[in-house]
Amino acid sequence: MPIKNYEHGCSTTQALATLGKVEGVIPLVHGPQTCVFENQMSTLYCRPAKLITAGTLLSKSEVIFGGDDSLKEQIRNVYEKHHPKVIVIINTCIPQLNGDDVKGVSMEMEEEIPGLRIRSINTGFVYTNAMLRGSDASWLAILQTLDKTEHEPGAIGIVGRSGQDADNMGAIGTMLRKAGLNTYLFPEGHIDEMAKITRAEHIYPIHLGSYESCKYLESEFEQDAEFIEIPVGIDGTTNFFRRVADKEGCQALHDLVDQEEKQARVELEKLRKKFAEDPVRMLLVSGPANEMSMGKIVAEFGAEVFVVPSMKDKFYKQERAIMEERYGVTFIDEDFGSLDELIDEIKPTVIANEMQAETESSARLIPSFCIFFYLADYGYDYALNFGKNFNNMTGPSVWKHWRELNSRYAAV
Amino acid sequence: MNDSQPQFKLQELHTPSSFEGVVWALMGIEDARTIIHSAPGYYFNMHNNALMNDWPMELYTSHLKFSSVMKGGEEQLANVIDAIKELRPAALFVVTSPVTETSQDDAEGVCDRIGYPNTRVVRPAIGESCNQGKEAAFQALIDLMDGDAEKRPRSVNLIGPALCMFNWRADVYELKRMLSEIGIQVNAVLSAGATFAEIQNAPAAELNLCMYPFDYGVETAEVMEERFGVPYMADIVPIGFDNSLRWLEQIADHFDMDIKRYLASCVQNATHFIRSNLVFGTTFELSTALSFENHNTYALGIAEFFKKEVGIKVPLVSLSNPEAAERVAASCDEVLVSPTLDLKKERFVETGPNLIFGNFYDQKLASEEGIQNFVVADIPTAGYVASEVGPFMGLMGAKHLVQTAVNNTVTKLLIDTKGDVAGEVSAGGADWDVAAEQALQQISLAVPQFVRTFAVKKVYEASQKIARERGTRVTVDIVRDAAESFTPGRFHAKFAAIFDAAELDSQQ
Repeated sequence: MPIKNYEHGCSTTQALATLGKVEGVIPLVHGPQTCVFENQMSTLYCRPAKLITAGTLLSKSEVIFGGDDSLKEQIRNVYEKHHPKVIVIINTCIPQLNGDDVKGVSMEMEEEIPGLRIRSINTGFVYTNAMLRGSDASWLAILQTLDKTEHEPGAIGIVGRSGQDADNMGAIGTMLRKAGLNTYLFPEGHIDEMAKITRAEHIYPIHLGSYESCKYLESEFEQDAEFIEIPVGIDGTTNFFRRVADKEGCQALHDLVDQEEKQARVELEKLRKKFAEDPVRMLLVSGPANEMSMGKIVAEFGAEVFVVPSMKDKFYKQERAIMEERYGVTFIDEDFGSLDELIDEIKPTVIANEMQAETESSARLIPSFCIFFYLADYGYDYALNFGKNFNNMTGPSVWKHWRELNSRYAAV
Repeated sequence: MNDSQPQFKLQELHTPSSFEGVVWALMGIEDARTIIHSAPGYYFNMHNNALMNDWPMELYTSHLKFSSVMKGGEEQLANVIDAIKELRPAALFVVTSPVTETSQDDAEGVCDRIGYPNTRVVRPAIGESCNQGKEAAFQALIDLMDGDAEKRPRSVNLIGPALCMFNWRADVYELKRMLSEIGIQVNAVLSAGATFAEIQNAPAAELNLCMYPFDYGVETAEVMEERFGVPYMADIVPIGFDNSLRWLEQIADHFDMDIKRYLASCVQNATHFIRSNLVFGTTFELSTALSFENHNTYALGIAEFFKKEVGIKVPLVSLSNPEAAERVAASCDEVLVSPTLDLKKERFVETGPNLIFGNFYDQKLASEEGIQNFVVADIPTAGYVASEVGPFMGLMGAKHLVQTAVNNTVTKLLIDTKGDVAGEVSAGGADWDVAAEQALQQISLAVPQFVRTFAVKKVYEASQKIARERGTRVTVDIVRDAAESFTPGRFHAKFAAIFDAAELDSQQ
């Protein structure tokens, strides 16, 4: 049994980060002060604005007698201050244990405040070991507030990862638009923009953690959703675009890919040569699903890659098969007690992990970096830029210096 | 122009001369008194300079008038010395100014006639540098040292500290701490903060340590070795963890001491520090420019430390010592030796560092270009208080440099790249020109990974907001406006080329 949880965060955090980045939506954390404070701090780093978190701050008596009244009061307060179109109640562990009638409160408050839509999601311990499900659940809540629209012929929708993806999907969206495809991105910064996803005929999820949302889009909005692969690295980006081009019958996209890929391949070969000269054995542990995308990028450069996956939904299985077949990436399915065990077994030269694992990786003075900083990873340019700066970002010569220093003075 | 002739550069900001060097080296001796034999202007300016830099001072002047210079200022000097000797200072220094050097007053004759003990006249040579002035002052101190002083076992002198050396007090404090940890006493500091008795007793030390070998002090150490047989070390500058440990090790070796256990504990402590999430997690993506024309030793030591031990890139170093410039070239991308203001300003903007270390004028230049992340680390300072806290030398100094670099950049980057605490997340969508989207992607690659996603989001949302206000699509121009308004100034130069290319692209 693991002695730590190496995931990026709790699904409550993920939900708060996801919803907190959409104007028009206010997330309301229903839980005790600990939950509200901790999740506010956990999301502080990645939220662009509205850094203050609305919460119900359940007291001991509310845990015993139910927190419904507090929830109603806070919904009124939030509406009065922000006038959102949607409030999503993030229902944390305690009120779930308590059996608070969150859905009932939502219905009652929708009647009290006409025009306001209230949805709720359960987070916390229902998604242990699948933090990214907090994002999927959040989006589902948003999708459930949207009205059906007519499909625009030829329009496509790109569904990305959680909140961080808003605005980082440009590398994909720009190419598609440049090829003349009417493209809607999901997420966006404003709920009105996110609502446009319903106009698309075809939906292309580009990362993990949106399986349930995509199923909902298929069933509720009669859209066709296809996960091709995560469009990162050179092969991944090319294959994604070519499949979209084929499906949409868009020769212009094929032509653009020809042009971009040709340039990218020259750089890729240089990087492969560099990685061959100085082989990299990289372990990626449970990021916010980017252990998959970053692992794929580095594997394409020729690194030997080992991945501890953060989730195991349908898209993950498909992506894993691609990474295994195309690059021989090794996935670690067995339980492990601590990262130390994996380091002993794999002997990586570089580790990408979350902060709670840094104590173990840095204790060995192995080059490592915090994986959650590396999120804008789509398209050709990101991969090439990352490859070119790989040594700067991982600092092997600096770590080597510290190993030598420790060895010289026998401190370790 | 004949290429063999040195190019005369326009010196908008004048560097201190040997006169300042002498006065600054002497005025830090606590119980000595210094008289500037000059017209009052020199005195006033030294006073104002000390005031701006917050240096303690006890200076006197012979306040010569035009007529007294013509007749000779010896009488006025004698009057001042007569008055000061009543205060019974431990030593008395008369520093001639360019005026009295020109008039060739017989200051030595005056001092001999009065006969106050431990009096010396120091004559800064016109045209010599500040560092040469400091060496000259130290030579005067050597003349007053007791060559028969009884040796103090395991003791050293620290040669170099003067009021004008930025952070000297903190560095001395830290080096004394480290030396004391291994059982070595500091016998005397030459000269800031020392008493005259300590300086007189300097030959009692068994070893001299030069703190600023790329600025001055080595000549003084050589003379002390010749006269008093005190050997010296000047080859390791104790800046950074590695060099601080090597410095201690070399000193311990000299005294035949075994300090392995202590060094091991220091390495352990330092390793715990650098293993912190925010050290290498951010330093590998930080860059700093170092502007140290009055502190070449810092320029070299900090550049080498940043590059080798914490992975901070150093795109630019500006200093004044050509020898140090040659060596520092291996640790940075570009070296400027005593540049003009225009050149320095241009290079600050062009290299776009996350942080600049420099003096007051550098800070002003940087501020004019929108670069706010700045660490005051050289003279002249203005309105700046310095104490024992925050050394740059020694093991504490290494930590302090890292925390200074990280704390002055990362938190500010986070603040810069976030919206208001309760501000709107997005004003709504707008259609984008393809060239504008591509420009946004390109600028994102110039932003450190640890703030990239939300920095891009902020520019994205700001661009949409401007476009909605103007009722247009998002163009390259709008993204440029958003980037310049909502991202830190240090990125502007990096962004400029991207936007220029994008505009060209959108016009084609």
